[in-house]
Amino acid sequence: MKVLHQAQHFTAYQCDHSRAFVIDFGHKQVTFTFCQFLAFRHQVKNIDLSKHFSGENKHGFEIMVLCNRKHIFIFNTHECIALKDLLKGSFTMLELNSVLAASL
Amino acid sequence: MKDLVRQKLSIHVEVMDMLNKQIEKEAHSSSAYLAMASWCDHNALSYSAQFFYDQSLEERGHMMKIFRFVNDNGGTAYSPEVKNVIHDFKSLEEIYETALDQEISITQSIHNIVQKCRKLNDFTTENFLQWFVKEQMEEEQMMRRALELFDLMGTDGLGLKLLDERIPQIRESNLPD
Ligand SMILES: [Fe+2]
Ligand SMILES: [Fe+2]
Repeated sequence: MKVLHQAQHFTAYQCDHSRAFVIDFGHKQVTFTFCQFLAFRHQVKNIDLSKHFSGENKHGFEIMVLCNRKHIFIFNTHECIALKDLLKGSFTMLELNSVLAASL
Repeated sequence: MKDLVRQKLSIHVEVMDMLNKQIEKEAHSSSAYLAMASWCDHNALSYSAQFFYDQSLEERGHMMKIFRFVNDNGGTAYSPEVKNVIHDFKSLEEIYETALDQEISITQSIHNIVQKCRKLNDFTTENFLQWFVKEQMEEEQMMRRALELFDLMGTDGLGLKLLDERIPQIRESNLPD
């Protein structure tokens, strides 16, 4: 498994062998197909952090259900920030890899 | 490292995001035209009403075209939520003006995606979008023809009724050669 991006609390990997993506959440590792990884990216992108600070999201938690409802996670504000970093960094890495692969 | 993204997805991720935004815009256009159709219906302007009912369907068609394209190419299309649909208008002229403005902003948005495709060498999507570039040109021309009617004809009393009857003629297919 190759590291795509490491954020605070979380690390994302690509596994060439199983053609899948893995996120290590610390207490648990979750494997994603590409579609599921895209869906997770979408969920994370849609987290509105400003609501965590404006008081609109009073408890400051985001509840997320992943991979066809196989997993449920509760993330606090800190972790949400880390997730945004993780997904952004991972997809940037994937893009670089695509550019590299195309130029070879 | 294998290029797993390319194995699954034949379009660029950033372009896919823009296409999903475009899906929202087409859905919004469809709803906006439906609201205009309703206003026309209530104001006994049945030709304009029919025109906007047809336009609404067309916009949904555009949305579906992009939706299928994203999914067919390994991406994920998201079913759009439509908000902020305007139902209040002061006149038929305002409606056609709003419609033209809407088409112009859609054209701009399509052009932005084409520009992005060029930057990222996403020729698949660029080629797909060529149909939309042409479609937008026609849609803008059609709305301008509607507004020309207002310049040519009065809208006092029976004038508005007569103008409404001319509306079917602004469609490309109904133009004289
Ligand atoms: Fe459209
Ligand atoms: Fe249109």
